[in-house]
Parts: sequence; C-alpha cells; structure tokens
Amino acid sequence: MAVTSHAQAEPPKVDLREPPSWRRTKNQIVTALMVFAFLLAIIPLGFVIVTVIAKGASVINWSFLTSEIPVNTSPANFGGMGPAIVGTLEITALATAIAVPLGVLGAIYINEYGGKGILARIVRFMSDVMSGVPSIIMGLFIFTLWTLHFQYSGLGGALALACLMLPIVIRSSEEMLKLVPDSLRQGSSALGATKARVTTTVVLPAAAGGIVSGALLAVARAAGETAPLLFTIGTVTAVNKNVFSGANTALPLQIFSNASSPFTGAQARGWGAALTLIVIAFVFMIAARLVTARFARYSH
Amino acid sequence: MRIRGRKQVTAAAGAVAVMAALAACSSSSSNSTTTPAGGASTPASGGSTSSSAAVSGTLNGAGSTFQLTFEQQAIQNFKSVQSGMTVNYNGVGSGTGRTDLASGVVNFAGSDSPIPSTETANFKGKKVLYFPILVGPITLSYNLSGVSNLKLTPSVIAQIFSGKITNWDNSAITSINPGVKLPSEPITLAVRSDSSGTTQNFSLFLQTAAPSDWSLGSSSTIKWPSGARAGNGNGGVAQIIKSTPGAIGYVDYTDAKAAGLSYASVKNKDGGYVAPSTAGASASAAGVTVAPDLTFHAVWGSGAQAYPITYQTWVLVYAQQPNANDASMLKAYIGYLLGAGQQLLPQLSYAALPSNIDSTAKAQLSQITS
Amino acid sequence: MSSLTRADSATPAESAHPLAQRRPLGDRAFAILALTAGLLVLVILVLIAISTSQQASSWFSAEDLSIFSRDWDPATNSFGALPFIYGTAVTAVIAVSISVPISLGIALLLNEVVPQRWARPIVYVVDLLAVVPSVVWGLWGILVFAPWIQHIYSSIASGVNGIWVLGFLFGGQNISGASFFTTGIILAFMVTPIITSLAREVVATTPSIDKQGAYALGATRWEMIRGVVWPHSQGGIVGAVLLGLGRAMGETIAAALVIGSSPTITSHLFSPGYNLPAVIANQFGESTGVWRSALMGTGVLLFVFTIIVNVIARGVVERSARRARGA
Repeated sequence: MAVTSHAQAEPPKVDLREPPSWRRTKNQIVTALMVFAFLLAIIPLGFVIVTVIAKGASVINWSFLTSEIPVNTSPANFGGMGPAIVGTLEITALATAIAVPLGVLGAIYINEYGGKGILARIVRFMSDVMSGVPSIIMGLFIFTLWTLHFQYSGLGGALALACLMLPIVIRSSEEMLKLVPDSLRQGSSALGATKARVTTTVVLPAAAGGIVSGALLAVARAAGETAPLLFTIGTVTAVNKNVFSGANTALPLQIFSNASSPFTGAQARGWGAALTLIVIAFVFMIAARLVTARFARYSH
Repeated sequence: MRIRGRKQVTAAAGAVAVMAALAACSSSSSNSTTTPAGGASTPASGGSTSSSAAVSGTLNGAGSTFQLTFEQQAIQNFKSVQSGMTVNYNGVGSGTGRTDLASGVVNFAGSDSPIPSTETANFKGKKVLYFPILVGPITLSYNLSGVSNLKLTPSVIAQIFSGKITNWDNSAITSINPGVKLPSEPITLAVRSDSSGTTQNFSLFLQTAAPSDWSLGSSSTIKWPSGARAGNGNGGVAQIIKSTPGAIGYVDYTDAKAAGLSYASVKNKDGGYVAPSTAGASASAAGVTVAPDLTFHAVWGSGAQAYPITYQTWVLVYAQQPNANDASMLKAYIGYLLGAGQQLLPQLSYAALPSNIDSTAKAQLSQITS
Repeated sequence: MSSLTRADSATPAESAHPLAQRRPLGDRAFAILALTAGLLVLVILVLIAISTSQQASSWFSAEDLSIFSRDWDPATNSFGALPFIYGTAVTAVIAVSISVPISLGIALLLNEVVPQRWARPIVYVVDLLAVVPSVVWGLWGILVFAPWIQHIYSSIASGVNGIWVLGFLFGGQNISGASFFTTGIILAFMVTPIITSLAREVVATTPSIDKQGAYALGATRWEMIRGVVWPHSQGGIVGAVLLGLGRAMGETIAAALVIGSSPTITSHLFSPGYNLPAVIANQFGESTGVWRSALMGTGVLLFVFTIIVNVIARGVVERSARRARGA
C-alpha cells in the first residue's frame, strides 16, 4: 500500500506536519472508532460487574468464604462457599500444572524443532481444531475415560480443564515464539549454543511475556468453566483438601446450580460465589501481568 | 544483554510446581469410600433402622434434581444420626445418575423413572433395587393479574401446551372458569430448556389423561410449539413466569411455592378440581398400582382428593454390595430416608409416601447384602 | 569450544554435522522432550476423536442421512443435528463479526494511540472481560440483558418486516431476548479479550523502523497502520481470530443459557435457536441410549466443522501472505 506524499502548497505557508484535511479527518475518525471500540467492550463489562456486585456483595464476609455449603433452602446469610473456593483453587492449579508445561513444550516442538515437517503441521492443525471443541465434550471425554473407572475426583476435573487449556496455550505460545526474530536464534547458535540452550535461554525469555499472557488467558478460562466439571468431580458440602481422590466442588458449579434454584438464599450465595470467583481470577491476572511487566524482555 | 527472562521462567515453573505439590500432598480427609467399618452392620431385621450401631465412611449419590432439595436436607440432618458418615448427592439428572450407578461411580442413584429398556444392559445383569422416597405435585403456575383461582382440565392443558389454544380468553378456558375475568392476552408458554424428569412426568400425565389432545409424546425433552420460552431448571421456569404477564408453565410444587407463584387447580380422574398440595399428591400415589419391585407411576391416580399431576422418585442401589461397610451405610441412609427422614418432607413441600409403599420399601432394605 | 559452523538453529533439520556428532545429552533430551510433548498433544486429540466417535457410533450407524435432518425430537426418537450445526455457524459468525473490529480497535488503540502510562490500566480493564466466568456471562445474559434487549429487537423487527434483506434477517414473529443474536453478542464479549490480547502482542512487534519510516514520509497514523502494521501482523491476527472463533464455537454454558433452546432453522436472528454445545449441556443429564449417542455425535460433527473452518482460514492466511510477499 503506497503512502502518498503530502500535498504541494506555497513553500512559505505549508506546515509539513499537517496532512490535507480529508486525510486528517479520516485519521481522526479512525481514532474515534478505536476509542468507541474500547467503550463498546467496557460498557457491558461494567454492567455485568455492577450486577454481580449488587446481587452478591451483601453475602460476602469472612464466614461466607470459609463456611461449609448449606442446603439450598437456607437463608442468605447462612453458610458459605468455602469448599468451592478451595476446590476451584486446587483443581485449577493442578490443571495449570499439567497444561502449561505441556503446551509450551508442544509449541516449542512445532516452532523450533518441527518446522515444516509433516508431524509439526499435523500437531499445529489439530491444536487449532481442538481449540474449537466445546468444553462439555472435554468433560464428557474425561467422564467416559476416567470418571467411570476412577470415580469422582478433583483430578478428573483438572484433566478435563487441562484438555481445555492445552490448545489455547499451544496456539498462543506458538504465535509468540514465531514472533521472536530469527536473528536471535542465529546469533546464539553462532556463539556455539546447542538448540536446547538457544531455546531455553534466548527464545523462551524473549517470548516469555506473550507466552505468560496466553497462559493467563487459558487459566482464567479454566477457572471459570462449568461444563468440564459437571460430570467429573461430583459435589461436596465440606472442604476436600485432597485433589486427587474423592468428590469435590468448584465455584462455577455452585454458581450454576444455585442460580437455577428458586430459593432466594441459594441465589444470593450463588451470586456471592460469582463475585468471589471474579475477584480471585482478577487478582491472579493482575499479579501475573505485573510479573510479566517486570521480567519480560519485550515488554510494552 | 542481561537475560532476566530465564530466572522468571524458572521462578514461575517453581511456583507452579510448589502449588501442585501443595495441592497433592495435603492431608487427605476421610473421603475414601472403603474405610473399614467402624462398628457392626445394622441387623437385618424387618427393615427398621437401628441408630445404635455406628457406621462410618462416605456415600456418593447422583441423579434426579427433583429429590435434590430433600437429599440435601436429609444429608444434613442425617449427620446427627450417624456422625461418622458423609453423604454427597450430585444433582446431574436421572439419566446420568443411572449411568454413574451402572459404572460404580456412585453408591446410589436418584431417578424419577424406572430404568428404561435401552439401559438395562449397562447393569450387566446385576439386580437393582428401587426405593421410592417421596412424591410431589407438578403445578401449572401462571401469571395473570387479578386471577388467583384458575381451573384447568387435562384436555385444556394439553391444548395449551400443544399450541392449539393461544389466548387466555379462549372459550375452552372461560367455560370452565365461570366468573373469572380472563384477559384477551396471548398465552406465553414457560418450559424447561434442560431435560428433566419433571418434563417427562408432566408429558406422561398429558399422554395418559388427554391422549386425544396430546400428540407430542412423553420424554424428558419435548418439542414445544414455537414461541415457548425456555428456562434452566424449575427456578428458571419460575423466573420466566414471574416476569412475563400472561405466562403459564409447569413447575415443581416445592419450587413454585418457594418462588411465590399462583397455580391452577386441575380436574382429576374422579372429576373434581383439586389444587396442588402434598395431601393431594399422596392421595394420587395411593390411588395407583405398585409393581412388586416398587416401580409405579403416580400420575392420574384415582381418588376424590387426588391431585392428578403427581410424580415420584426413587433411590436405586445394587442389591449386591462390594463390601459389608457399603451395605451398612446404604441401609442406614436409605433407612433414614424412609423412616425419620419422611418427617422432613412437609416443610420442604414434598409429599410423604403412602404408608403401604413406605413399609414395603423398608422391608426391601434387607435385600441389600454384601 | 566448537568451531563456528553454519549451524542454523532456525531450521527444523538436524544441526550441522560437527555439532551433531558431539550433540550433548541435554540437547538431545530436550529435543526428545519437545517431541514427546508434541506427540502427546496428538495422542490426546486422537483419543478424544476416537472416544467420542465410539460413543456416537450407534447414532452414526443409521443407514440414511437422518443424522442431518432438521428434526430433533427425543420423544419420537428422531435425532437430526442440522439445527445445531446451523446454530453454531450463525452464532460463531455473529460473535466474530462483532468481536474482531472491537478487538482490533482496542489492540491498535493500546499500541499506537495511547501513551505508555495509560496502556497498563487499560489492559487490566480489558482483562476483566476474560476473568468473568462463562456461567456469569450466561446468567447476566438471560436475567438482565435478554429482557432488556428484547424490546429493542421488537422495535427493530416491526420496523424492518417487509424490507428485503433486513426483514429476512431481523424480522419474524417469534422475537425473543434469548436468541441467536443475543448469543452472538454474549459470545463476542467472551471472545474479545482473547483476540485483543494476542493481537496486541502481534501488533507490538511491528518493526519500529518501518513505522517511523511511514511517519517520516508524512503518513497519518491511520495510513501508517494500514500500510505498515497491518501487512506485518496479518498472519498473527488471523491466528488470534481463529482462536477466538474456536472459543465462540465451543462455549457451552453461556450459550446453553441464552440461546433459547429451540431446535429450529430460521433466518430470523432474533428468534430462539440452538447450537451444538448448548444441546449437549442441556440434554446430556437425562439422555439415554441412542439419544446420548446422538449428543456425542453432534460433538463429533463439531470436530469436522472446526476442521473445515480452520482449513479455510489457513488458506486465506496463506493466500494473503503470498500476496504480501509478492507485492
């Protein structure tokens, strides 16, 4: 796309920084559109947050965050969501521990080692395909292969969430690795580094910011997903600290079942759980973005 | 060029590893299903629950959402009867509950229907015992300002939910509601978006009581006429009715009461108009034939006080349990549901089992063996 | 240590010979590790495909093409999945059409317009979109958004009924807050943070020297974006859009709550509909026999659908990249 030179005008009067008015107007329109895009995204977000706070803030207190889950018919200030909070934290942590290393390594294979080979192309293509698989299918897959043999457990839920996170991590990590200039790799090799060293000491740190950002999105999604957990972890009313065995529960599940209940107490607890989950996920995201900002090589 | 990135990557990996290790190595609570029995198993006498023998362990159950409210309350109250036991009940739907039981994921399943013939193979020939635990009415809840005592017949209900009657002032409705001012508003149907035993039994009622007017079959999912608004769970349907003037939908009695809805009186098999109530539900259940294995359908029961749209739910277990502790736990818990637990039903707006069904079920407890 | 060879570590082939002969154990182990990870991904995917296909086999074994019929009615044992394929396509297209301009706008805003200091807070705010759980989006959608927007739909529908294309898309009698279009909107909100985040990263790597060159030639910001940023970022942005599309097609709970649960094929976007993930979520719990098999089968169909969409998208990327190189 060729860039036009600025218009000809009488030499003494022209301001070389000012393009002709139509191009300037187009520029301003586009800038306004960009701001408008931002507002379009933010306004509904604002409404959602306000709704969740309005419906859920009244039940939040320390007792809510630590108490056991009461029966649906209990009034709003009774009981809490402690087991669900613990469940979400431990199941999401386990899923992250499974999916992120695997996904980053997979992306490294595709981009650094596989290149144009047929296997790399297949893996890349299949991870694209996998990112479109509904979260409920991941849940049913684990339900069939794991839960029906090993009963309800937090591990089953973590596996389902990891299946969900894996394609996201691979795809976004691969995009980030692709952006690292070849000159870095070549320079490092020229200094005698082996491929593994090049990858771990030069390429990964260079892409770290983007990789962490992509992994964050995957974790945030996993923490908020209901469908993979519906049939794989069962339910409990008391905290289960063992994520590998025994039924468990999680905040999204409680939100879903409570909000569909006609009892006002259960509904209030459901919205309280929603607020809690949003706060937890947001705090985690901010913390990780701060880490990225401090350590990433190509920070913005 | 300082390469700070590697430290960050290592630190992040370390943090993740520590988190995972913490999650894994924390103390395991008593959640294994096969801890050795803490005491003697309950004696296999005429089905009465013996609360003196302490049992411990965890029971997992899954299935029908209709019985979920009762299960939750029973589980909580049961803790004071058997403090060493933990019971979990997951309301995933009757179909999945049966699947879970067939594969041994759970110790008991909650189901609103008997095992269909397409599923019997899953149980690999092992005997399954049916324990009915409660019955309950399904209401026709509606939102019409100024109307509080609507009467409906099965035929009219069938026509409304097939889309044949579309206005509130249709002559079919006004003729059975003399003196009631019905607006000339269109009828908005409120139905379930998720499959459910409530839909299954509601459609079964229509099929049984109004076969000439109802052609959409009986299933946990029905192809409703276009224009129907779908909500998730009984709560979702209740919410649609509450917020839509001119709406009518089918909602569990427990949930209709909790949501404060108005509901219609329905003409029963004996010809009288009966409002939904726990007494009416028990009457309908008492007026149907019960098979020897304790399966039955409580809809369209005979009796002057029977409320015709009543349904039932069972707890399903294998007769043969893998070990003695599982058998004891199940006998203790199900015995509680059939015994003292029945006292919890009225406050939750469920109806207790008719006494003959209850005693037969209690007697069946002895068939749970290891 | 080792002599400087032409070892090009950017190529996939084994490193140049001198290095290969003395390849240290750590290097080979790492390569094997990466390969294993790649293979593991493949294995998992194949497992998912096989397992779901196996579950779906009794539905697929229907000799005729009834699996593609328009009629889905468990009460009569008919399981035609066409309404769900249609619904998935429609809602995903709506979601991406709304989301991509917004996401690109925000990404460009953050990189080109906004001063450095404001970028981080704005990024955190956009991240908030991602941390809202899908079930909350669904609940807000059905309890707050759908009733409100139904009035707007009704006004639009009564206005355009009769006008050719607009009436076809936005008219109709059965106007509902829970509909294809609402699902598309809610999905768009969920997809935007993904596309924005990745697009931002991609746009940020535009070589500064090219950008400065464009400015030096007198280009406005928009012209610079069009002439420098866009050609450089095309491939990466399409990759980001594909990921967002995947999310839009696979989102389950939010779709199940706001799509209206009506298995009908209609051009009217303000009418209730159904899509593949939603029907599985709503009906799996009670399903049995052929019905359950049919639900798993719809999942397999979505696999195929996703493959087709990805092939097309990849083709588009290749062609535009080739054109950019040749230009």
